[in-house]
Amino acid sequence: MPPGRTEAGVTMTEVDSADRLLFLHDADVVPGPVGALAQLAEQLVVEVPRHPGFGTELDDAARDWDSVADLAQHYLSTMPAGQPTHLAGAGFGGWIALEMAVRAADRFASLILVAPYGVKLFGPTDREFADVLLLDPVEVVELGWADPAACHGLRMPGFPPGQDDEQIERAFLDREALCRYAWKPFMHDPRLRRWLHLVTIPTLVIAGERDRLVSPEHSRQLAGLLPSARYVELPGTGHYPYLESPDAFTAAVTSFLATRQKMGAEQ
Amino acid sequence: MRCYHFTEMPYPYVPPDVEEAHRGLKYFMPNRYYDPVRGYQLYQRYLDEYELADELGYDLMVNEHHQSASTLHVSATLSAASVLARTRRGRVLVLGTPLPHRESPVRVAEEVAYLDAISAGRIICGFVRGVQGETWPSNQNPVHNMDMFVEAHDLIKEAWTNHDVFSWEGRFYHYRYVSIWPRPYQQPHPPIWVSGTTRALVEWTARHGYTLCNLLGTYADTAASFRLYRKAAMEAGLPEPGPDHFAYLSFCHVAPTEEQARQVGRKLMWYLKQGKLRLGAISPPGYSSPAAAVAALRGKLGEVRKYSFERLVDEGVMLVGTPDQVIARIQRLYAETGVGNLIMMNHAGEMTSNEVRDSLCLFAREVIPAVAPIGRHWQDDDTRWRVENDRRPVHTVLASALS
Repeated sequence: MPPGRTEAGVTMTEVDSADRLLFLHDADVVPGPVGALAQLAEQLVVEVPRHPGFGTELDDAARDWDSVADLAQHYLSTMPAGQPTHLAGAGFGGWIALEMAVRAADRFASLILVAPYGVKLFGPTDREFADVLLLDPVEVVELGWADPAACHGLRMPGFPPGQDDEQIERAFLDREALCRYAWKPFMHDPRLRRWLHLVTIPTLVIAGERDRLVSPEHSRQLAGLLPSARYVELPGTGHYPYLESPDAFTAAVTSFLATRQKMGAEQ
Repeated sequence: MRCYHFTEMPYPYVPPDVEEAHRGLKYFMPNRYYDPVRGYQLYQRYLDEYELADELGYDLMVNEHHQSASTLHVSATLSAASVLARTRRGRVLVLGTPLPHRESPVRVAEEVAYLDAISAGRIICGFVRGVQGETWPSNQNPVHNMDMFVEAHDLIKEAWTNHDVFSWEGRFYHYRYVSIWPRPYQQPHPPIWVSGTTRALVEWTARHGYTLCNLLGTYADTAASFRLYRKAAMEAGLPEPGPDHFAYLSFCHVAPTEEQARQVGRKLMWYLKQGKLRLGAISPPGYSSPAAAVAALRGKLGEVRKYSFERLVDEGVMLVGTPDQVIARIQRLYAETGVGNLIMMNHAGEMTSNEVRDSLCLFAREVIPAVAPIGRHWQDDDTRWRVENDRRPVHTVLASALS
């Protein structure tokens, strides 16, 4: 049964509303609790921080950071202790979340990954990740959405059309930050894969069936390398299911969190 | 005025529909469209033309681009080696080695030292950042391009001038033992040239006293860029830079009549064809300032590409005409910019070898003798670019030039 709003409503009561969800954003996503994240904020304390370099007061300090490990280190070292935290990340943010999880899995109650970059799985001539740094915004939308006409919540240089110079400059600076973190090897770190077995916390990997930026097959195989991962593929959605199919996304996450809590209670 | 012959060694046989489908000839062109036999013939032809130019009294320039049908030079130092082997007299300007795109600066230091050593110092060594699109074939991070350029330069200079074994643990480059053999023939090192228009690079070049090269800019932009250089050099306590500190790349074709010159010279427009490269290829993130990136998005860079042939001839970017007309243009170029080195792209696209050779011969016979004395006694000239005549503020040039 495709999960829907009703199911999300039912399971809501089973999620502890004191829980905190730290959601790490993808490269070209506008700031804030967009799409499904706003829905989840009704049940959880949802935090969607901007990554240093993407328009934050830490941008200057982060100018010398040149790896996603730097971002992982930053989030781990600034995270408040005590409160149960679910760690989530989408795309580029999913990569950061993985880097955090291999370093300190025990600091998180669970891990939710949405079509994450970060791990190269196939051969050297297999282009696993679309080149978002080269492609025009319309191509990114074409590859990243099941229904490109429905695209919203993204910000790239010159997209959406009608940006003023300041907005375009901001979008270029976001891309520049992404370059610093992820230029080479492109969108992955070969040192990450060898530690995936340390991610022993309950994990949910969500992919959109129509994602052509990171193929669902990639996400599925990555889930297979994580010790406690469940893989969910959402139909009729692309790389941004929390934007394109917020209800289904919320339902999948809520169901995962509820099951996880139930399992925890039985143990 | 020293005159240099240059061809980018294009491969002009890519069908237009293929070029269209791949957004131009550069960086993303599948090499199935390269024919090895035709390629061999082209290389021989272009090297023959360098040989002729050398015999006619030109100096010579080579460059490099990558994965491009518009240039078959794949390494400026390799091309220089080929040209040196075919020639006896002219200086060979290597403009340039794109330092951020080369993995090993020490190897660049070795290669240039080798070229200089085998030619008894015929080498002029150019360093460039590498045009934006080169980011894609080399896969070097555009964010670090300028910083890598500077560090690679510092390391190369150290390798040329430090005669002990030294170690280099920098930000981008790491060597525990460096002491290159051979040393350059020209001591302490060959002359260094840099091409570019970004303010930081122009000022850096000026502070080092290197020769600054403007590629295909309008005379006004070129003059502005050179003024910026002179001011930075004077502020750094250097003497007023003479014409030998500046170079300009133009197109060139001369013929006995203006009509003939324009008829053939029009073929030079091939080089300026605007591919439909993606914005990401034209302006990789972090290569330029955000303001320059916005200008790229709004289509304001490389403006000369949009000029008509007639306008380019009028502006002097295309030195196309009779010898007398071209001499007058070169005089104007000197008067406006104070440049002392003129690099001429004498060939583009489908121009035949005979067309190139005819122009080379006529220019050598009638133009070189007339323009050679220009700038020799520059300190006696009272031109507008002399530092004491220049009191206006200098604005940053937003690159009508190409690189």
